[in-house]
Amino acid sequence: MLELFTYDFMQRSLLAAAIVGALCSLIGVFVVLRGLAFVGAGTSHAAFAGVTLGYLVGWPPLPLAIAFGVATVWITGWLEEQGRMKLDVSIGILYTATMALAIMFIGFMRTYNPEVYGYLFGSVLSVTGEELFLIGGLAVLELSLLALFWKELLFIAFDQEMAEASGIPARSIFFLLLTLIALTVVVALKTVGAILVFAMVLIPASTAYQLTHSLTTLTLYSVLIGTATAVTGVIVSTVWDIPSGPSIVLLAIAVFFFSLLISPKRMKHPLGSSRP
Amino acid sequence: MTSQQDSQERTSCPVIIRFDHAWFGFPGVVALEDISLSIHAGEFIGIIGPNGSGKTTLCRAVLGLLAPLKGQLRIFDCACEELRCHHRAQIGYLPQKGVVDRDFPVTVFETVMMGRYGALGLFRRPGPQDRRIALESLALVAMERYRDVALGSLSGGQQQRVLIARALAQQPKVLLLDEPTTGLDLPMQYNVLDLIQHLHKTLRLTVLLITHDINMIRSRVDRLVLLKTRLYAHGPPADVLKPDILEQVYGRGLIFSDSNLVFVGDYHHSP
Repeated sequence: MLELFTYDFMQRSLLAAAIVGALCSLIGVFVVLRGLAFVGAGTSHAAFAGVTLGYLVGWPPLPLAIAFGVATVWITGWLEEQGRMKLDVSIGILYTATMALAIMFIGFMRTYNPEVYGYLFGSVLSVTGEELFLIGGLAVLELSLLALFWKELLFIAFDQEMAEASGIPARSIFFLLLTLIALTVVVALKTVGAILVFAMVLIPASTAYQLTHSLTTLTLYSVLIGTATAVTGVIVSTVWDIPSGPSIVLLAIAVFFFSLLISPKRMKHPLGSSRP
Repeated sequence: MTSQQDSQERTSCPVIIRFDHAWFGFPGVVALEDISLSIHAGEFIGIIGPNGSGKTTLCRAVLGLLAPLKGQLRIFDCACEELRCHHRAQIGYLPQKGVVDRDFPVTVFETVMMGRYGALGLFRRPGPQDRRIALESLALVAMERYRDVALGSLSGGQQQRVLIARALAQQPKVLLLDEPTTGLDLPMQYNVLDLIQHLHKTLRLTVLLITHDINMIRSRVDRLVLLKTRLYAHGPPADVLKPDILEQVYGRGLIFSDSNLVFVGDYHHSP
C-alpha cells in the first residue's frame, strides 16, 4: 500500500485533498456560525454552471466558475441587504436557475465530455499539476484574506449589527465572506464535485461545533477534522477503488455522527460549560 | 453634592449627541418625527415609551445605523451619515436580549475581546494591551472568574454583565443599553441596573438606557425622554412622570399607585 504514495498522481491528489479539506473546513466555521449553509450549496451549483459554459465555449472553466459563484453570492447578499428577499429564498431561486443553465449548456455540447462530469461528481485522483497550482494559488489568496480579516469575520458571525455598531465595516466584511465562500467552493469543485462540495464546508465545522464552546478551539478542530477526512477519504477511495468525493464526504459524516455521541454539549454536565 | 446639583453640572458639559428636527424611518414608514434633543457628556438618560414608540429606532440612529430622513443628527459633532468607524467605537452598545445567539460557541473572554475589534480598526491584531483591557472590563462587571466559561452556559443576568463588559472593552464615551433588564428576574434586574449606575458614576460614562420599567429607573436617571413616534416630553423624572403627560402617551393603560409608582399596560396601538 505504501507504494501508492510514490505515484505522482497520488501525491498530487493527497496534496489537493489536504489543501481543499483545510480551506473548506476553515471557511466552514463562518458558514456554520453565520447560518449560511444554503448559500454555499447554491454557490456550488452556480459554479458548476460556469464550468459547463467554459467547456461549451472553449474557455478555461475555473475562471468562469469563479465568476458565476461570486455573481450568485453577491446578488443574493444584495437582495437580502435591500430587504427585498430572504437569503434562503434568493439563493434557492439562483441555485435552480444556474443549475438549469448548466443542464442547458451540457445539452448544447455535441459530444459527451467526461471532464464536465468530473466537476459534477469530483475526481481528485485526476487533478493535474496545473490544476494543483491553481488550487494552491487560490488557497494562498483566501488564507491571506482570512488572516487579514479574521477578527472582523468572527464578530459579524457573532452579531452583524453589533459589529457594525462597534465600528466594524460589517456590510463589506459580509460581502467578503460571501466571496470567500464562492472561491472556496470553486477551489474544491474538482476534488469532490459540485454536488458534494458543500459537505466539505459544512460537516467539519458542524462536527467541531459539537465538541467545544470556544471559537478558537472550534476553528482548530474544524481544520483538523476537514484535513484528516479529506486525506483519509482519498486513501480509502484509492485502496478500495471507490469514487473519491463520496468517500471523503461519507467519512466526514461518520465522524460527525460520532461527535454527536461524544459531544459534551449533550452530556448532563458539559465539560467547560458548567453553570457557575 | 445633591443629585440635582449633579444633574445641573452635567447639563453644563458639552453636548455629544444632538437631534435637530430629525425624522427617522424606513421606506413608507415614519418611526420618529421631528425629534429635537441634546444629550450632554456624562448624563444618565432613560428613554421610555410604549412598544412601537420608536425607542429602538432612536437607538439605531445614535449607533449611526440609521440616517435621518429629514433634519440632522450630530454625534461627537459629526453628522451621523459621516460617522466613521472610530466614532462608532466610542459608543458601547448592549442589544436587546435575544438579539445575540446565546448558544454561539464563544467563551466569556472571547466575547469581551470582540469589544476591542472595532476600536483596533482593520488589519490590527489584538495584543497584550487589548487582553488587559478586556480583563479589566470583566473585572468591572465582577465576571473575571468566568473568563473561560461558555457564554451560553451563564444565567441571563451574567450574560448581560458579560455583554456590558464587551461594550466597556471598547472604552466608550457613551453606553447605549436597549432594554438590559428584559427577561431577568427581579433581583437580577436591580443587580444589572445597580451595575450600570455604578459604571456611570465611576467611569463618568454618558448612559442612554431604553426601558419599559419606569419605576426602576426614575430614581437613577438625570433625565427621562418620553417617546411615542414624537418626543412627548424630556426632563428630570419628576417633570416627565406627570399623569397628564403620561396619559397622552399610554392612554388607558396607565395606573398611578398610592406610592406614586407608575404602571403602564401595552396600549401602543390605542389612540
